[in-house]
Order: sequence, then C-alpha cells, then structure tokens
Amino acid sequence: MDSMARALPVVKSAPTGGLGSLRLGDIPLRQEVELVSIDLPLELAEPLLERGLLPGCRICPVRISPSGDPIVSIDGSLLALRRETADCLCVRILSHLQDAD
Amino acid sequence: MDQFESVGITPGDRAGGTALEDPDRAPVVALVGPPNSGKTTLFNQLTGLRQKVANYPGVTVEKHVGRVRLLDGKEVDVVDLPGVHGFSARTLDEKVTRDVLEGRVAGVRPPDALILIVDATRLENQLMLVEPVLELDVPTLLVLNMSDELESRGGRIVDAALAEHLGVEIARTSARTGQGLDSVRAFLSRARPLDPSEPGSPRTLSNVPRGQSLPMLDAFAARRNMVREAVRVAGFVPPGPSRFSERLDSLFLHRWGGPLVFLAVIILVFESIFTWAVPLMDGVEFLVSSSGNWVAGAMPDTWLRSLLVDGVWAGVGSVVVFLPQILILFLFLGILEDSGYMARAAVIADRMMYRAGLQGRAFLPLLSGYACAVPAILAARTIEDDRDRLATIFVTPFMTCSARLPVYALLIAAFIPDEQLLGPFMSKRAAVLLGLYALGIIAAVGTAFLLKRTLLKAQPSSFLMELPPYRLPSPKTLALRLLDRSKVFLRRAGRIIFAVAIVLWVLMQFPRTELGAPDIEESALGMIGHAIEPAIAPLGFDWRIGIGLVTSLAAREVIVGTLGTIYGVETADEESVALQEVLRRDLSPGAAIGLLVFFAFALQCMSTVAVMRRETGGWKWPAAQFGYMLMLGYLGAFVAVRIF
Repeated sequence: MDSMARALPVVKSAPTGGLGSLRLGDIPLRQEVELVSIDLPLELAEPLLERGLLPGCRICPVRISPSGDPIVSIDGSLLALRRETADCLCVRILSHLQDAD
Repeated sequence: MDQFESVGITPGDRAGGTALEDPDRAPVVALVGPPNSGKTTLFNQLTGLRQKVANYPGVTVEKHVGRVRLLDGKEVDVVDLPGVHGFSARTLDEKVTRDVLEGRVAGVRPPDALILIVDATRLENQLMLVEPVLELDVPTLLVLNMSDELESRGGRIVDAALAEHLGVEIARTSARTGQGLDSVRAFLSRARPLDPSEPGSPRTLSNVPRGQSLPMLDAFAARRNMVREAVRVAGFVPPGPSRFSERLDSLFLHRWGGPLVFLAVIILVFESIFTWAVPLMDGVEFLVSSSGNWVAGAMPDTWLRSLLVDGVWAGVGSVVVFLPQILILFLFLGILEDSGYMARAAVIADRMMYRAGLQGRAFLPLLSGYACAVPAILAARTIEDDRDRLATIFVTPFMTCSARLPVYALLIAAFIPDEQLLGPFMSKRAAVLLGLYALGIIAAVGTAFLLKRTLLKAQPSSFLMELPPYRLPSPKTLALRLLDRSKVFLRRAGRIIFAVAIVLWVLMQFPRTELGAPDIEESALGMIGHAIEPAIAPLGFDWRIGIGLVTSLAAREVIVGTLGTIYGVETADEESVALQEVLRRDLSPGAAIGLLVFFAFALQCMSTVAVMRRETGGWKWPAAQFGYMLMLGYLGAFVAVRIF
C-alpha cells in the first residue's frame, strides 16, 4: 500500500524544507492553520483541490468525530477527513490570528 | 426495469448534428451545481409533476427532465444534472455532467442555456464551478440559493457587483420556500434554442491538466484565485456560524452520543419497515386479492381467466405487496439525506467500513440494500474511488432485500415451531429471521474484506465528506421522490413478474394430453425441474423446488407463487397454511434451512444483474458476482442440510 503511494507523484507547491513537518493531524481544535503542501498522490489530492483545499488556504479543525477523525472548517464549509489524510497535509500555524475579523 | 431505458430519445440524434432543426422546439436548460446546493429542490419547484426520470444512454445515471410552462405559454425543458464538485470525470456523475454540458452524449441535446446554482452561505467554496461553466459560452444564470439563510445569519453579497464581475445574470432564491423563483422563470422565458449550425466556440469544459502535479496545482490555484477575486468584488460577508447546526453536531458527532443516535436511527428505520409497514401491506394485499376476485367473477371460465387470475394477478400481486415497505424506506432515506444527517452517519460509519475494506459512503447503499439492491447499487455512484465503488456494489446484494422476506416468511412459518427461545423476549422464528439477516451482513463484510485484499487491492483511498448545514427537508421534494420510486418499482414488478407468470403458465400447458393440460410432473415445466434435480438433490431439494429455483432467477419472491402453482394451492402467499403443509411433506427440516441459506446468499434477481452490467460497463463483474453468490448459496445449503 505504501510502496504504491510512493511510486506516484506527489502534490507539492514549492520546496517546503523543514516547514513541511507540521501536519494537520497534529493541530489542536480551533487553531487556524494555512495549508502548505499536500503530501498525497495526485488522484487522492484532486478531490481535495476541487473542494478548495489548496496550498495557501486556511483550515481550522473544529471537531473530532467519534472515530477520532478530524472535521475541519474551510471557506465556511465543514469537511470530514480521515486522520490518515490529515497526516498528509503539511500546514503552517498562522501567528496573526484575529486579523481579518 | 424502467430505469434501464433511454426514454424519449431517438438514437443517432447526435448533438449538434443536422442543420434541419425545428426553430420552435422548446429550449433545453440544464441545472448545474455542487451537491447540496438545492438543485433538485429548485428543479422540483419549477417542474412539479411535469417531470420524468430516465437514464442517460449507456449509463444508469438517472436523468430528470421536466417541462416548465411559463406564464406566456412558452415551454422550456429543464434537465437536472448530478451534483458535482468539478468536471474531471473521476466519478460517473462527473463524467455524465461533463459529457452533457459539452454536448457529447448521443441523443441528448446540448443545453441552450444553463442555470448554475450555488449555496450562497458557502459562496467561496461553491464558486469553483463558475470558471469552467462560463467558458462554455452559453447563456448562464447564477442562482444564489439559500439566500434567506444567508441573510438571517448576517451574511451579505452585493449581487450587482458579482454579476458585473462575472458577466452573468444573477438571481437570489430560496428554493425550499419558493422565494425568487420568478426571476428564474424570467430567465427561462428568455432562453432560445441555439442554432447548432452557427459556428460558435467549441464546447469544452476547461480541463485541469492531469497526471502532473504542478500544472494541475497551478490550474486549481488559478481557479481558486479567480473565485477569491469574485468573492472580494461581491463584498461577500460570510454568514455567522449556524448555532443550530453546531448544536446538533455536538450531539450527532459526539464521542458516545453520535454512535448511539446512529444506532437509534438504524433501529427506527428497521422498525418502521417491519412493523409500521404491515397494516399498509395488508391493505395492498386486500386490494390485490379483491380486485383479482372481481376479475375472476367477471370473466367466463376459460384459459384466459386462468392465465390472468392464477398467473398474472397472483404473481404481480405478490410483489406489489412490497410497495409500502419500499416507500417507507425511501421516505426515511430521503429525510436523512435532505436533512444533512446522512453525511454525519457516513462519517460515523467510515472507520467501521474502512476496516471491512469499504468506506463511509458505502453506508447509504448498504442500508438501501435492505429494501432493494437496484436503487442501492445506483446510490453507490457517489463513491469516488472506483475500487471502493466496485467492492460496495459487489457486496450490496448480500443485504437482506425485501424480496427475500416472503420466502423467509413462508419457510419459517412452515418449519420453525412457534416457540419462545429466550423467555418472553424472542421467539425461535424471530431468531431464525435475525440469523438470516446476520448471515447476509457477515457474507457482505467477509466478501468486501477478501475483495479489497485480492482483486480490488486497495490503493490508499481517501474519504472526504462535506457536512452540509442541517436543513428541513422539503415535503414537495420528498413526495416527488416517492412518486418516482413507486412508478419505477411498479413498472419493474409489472414487467418481470408478468413475463415469468406467462412463461410458467404456458410451460404447464404442454405437452397436451387428450384431457387437456398435462399433470404438472409430465409438463414441460416438470421436465425442466427433473432435469436439474440431480444438481440439487445433494441439498435435499426435489424437482418442485428446482422449478422454484429456476423461476426465482427472475426475482426471488417468484418462488412463493411458483410453488403455489405447482402444488395447485389456490391462494399461495407466505401465510398460506395449505402450502406450508405440502412443503413439510416434501422437504426435510434440514433442507428447509438449506433453502433459507441458499436464498440468503444466491443472486436470484435479473434486475440486479442488469443494473450491475450497466454500472460496471460489462458482463465480467455481474457474471463473477452471480457465480460467486450461487457458489456460496450452494455450499451454504449443502452444509446446512447436513447440520440440521
């Protein structure tokens, strides 16, 4: 399963360097983050991209499902992911939190 | 089997083909939009009862077309397309939507105008479809639906600015309450048939370059930036969070509360199918039998009466009885889906399903499978990953569909004593029925597990589920859906059972003897039964059961009527005491259990095979499924007859 994932190209917007180490799965609830890159094979990344989960977008984990999977808010929509997927999303914490509002 | 037809479409009438177009024809307007944007609600508000369901030629993606008559007498055909997030054609729904919009479906006229409907409360998320749709260069109306909700939650959009920026007309609606429909109708009244001979821009949806990560990412990023800009220009103020939805979610997705509610919902659905449906089913049965008696009384005693009353009425009636159950199930599924709960249920079920090799979205098809595998298999179209979808539709027929019930009911009543098993809590009969349901689930889970580790070896699949805000379902949409389902079900029942009844009746009339019709054992039907007897003798079945097995290949419940006919029992239904008695004479208790197990596993349903062929694009999967389930049924019966 893993070898297959590695054989396929991976969606990365830019060289992420050491920044890519923080994953969406590690983020506590209500901490807004910015998506840096998607560490998934293309065909798994495409549904994410279509729903606006693109590098640069803001994501906020809002809830944990009974099975422990994250539910995030993006552009005013709620999206349920598997934690395996969340662990493939490299994110960056937004330090200037309450800016726009 | 109405679902498998292309209704009202002339083959070969290729889109954009001949120049000899009728300039007075009704223009075709297609409804496009993401899932949960209120497309179908708007469609129902516009067309009401003047709609029909068909399929796109070649695929079983349902097509709803309705004719709208406007105030000035003008008529417009509105097409409801499946809800999509994009046009990459990853799912069947996306492929169909794309092909229709590009005018590449033979026999389906390319739309003369488009209505792009979005949920205004989530504008940023929903506008991702705008860019590709506008590139089609067809007159387009952007409908900002649910704008009442947007306003009540303090959100704002400056329509004029957005309209100018995008270069489209905009209408604000609340499809559920019917607000703003006049502006949609005004747009429809301005739609004109496009002249196909006129050279226009080629109709292609801008495709995202696939297969390479950077170009694809750039294309999406460009689309995203365009949406950002549009949203900024429109002065979009997102609505405040929906407290109502948040409060419901903190229960429905609660660590313990969530699974409890989930279980309660499933129990409620089952309870309603098996308890509340009973009086309704009795009512239908009464109607069928009294109308049959009336026909019998009104006709002279000829072969025609025997064919009509003993064959057709009894056969068709035995299936029509299930209509209330199927409608109740679809009513529940409709409420669960339209209210937004189904998405939460899928999230809760996902982990469980994932272990079996399926995913959360498979929950809906599998639950629907308890009513009928045909709509259930169609419901699996929302599963994006092809392997997950195949695995789901492969195991769906193991779920105990309502067509198995009359067979179970007859055999259980005939062979299982009416005794208590666990004190007052459960009777032996209920336990056997429960066991048969469990058998179906075990077979489904086991098969999915095996499939995903062999033939459909899992690539890492993903599960993404959008959780729409909770909303009150629209009674009109629910009612129209039920009407749709009844029509499809009745037509299907009518055709298959009708055909089987006639064939059976004819086979029993030949070869003729001097006394007229032969003894059943000497008839063509009897010969068929004897021919297959050697194959089923190890299971303890004789030639009579053999005939039942053959006829039940069309549909499982047919065996009840067939056995009734063979044994010459006048009123054959699952409660028929006379039929139970003769069955006890010819079947050992072990063979009866074997027959039950056989029915739990085997795929005796023409409609399921047909829908599988359409959904998988060939005979390979339905053949494998049929063979596998038959083998499992045979082995199961073989083992059961030796244990019991």
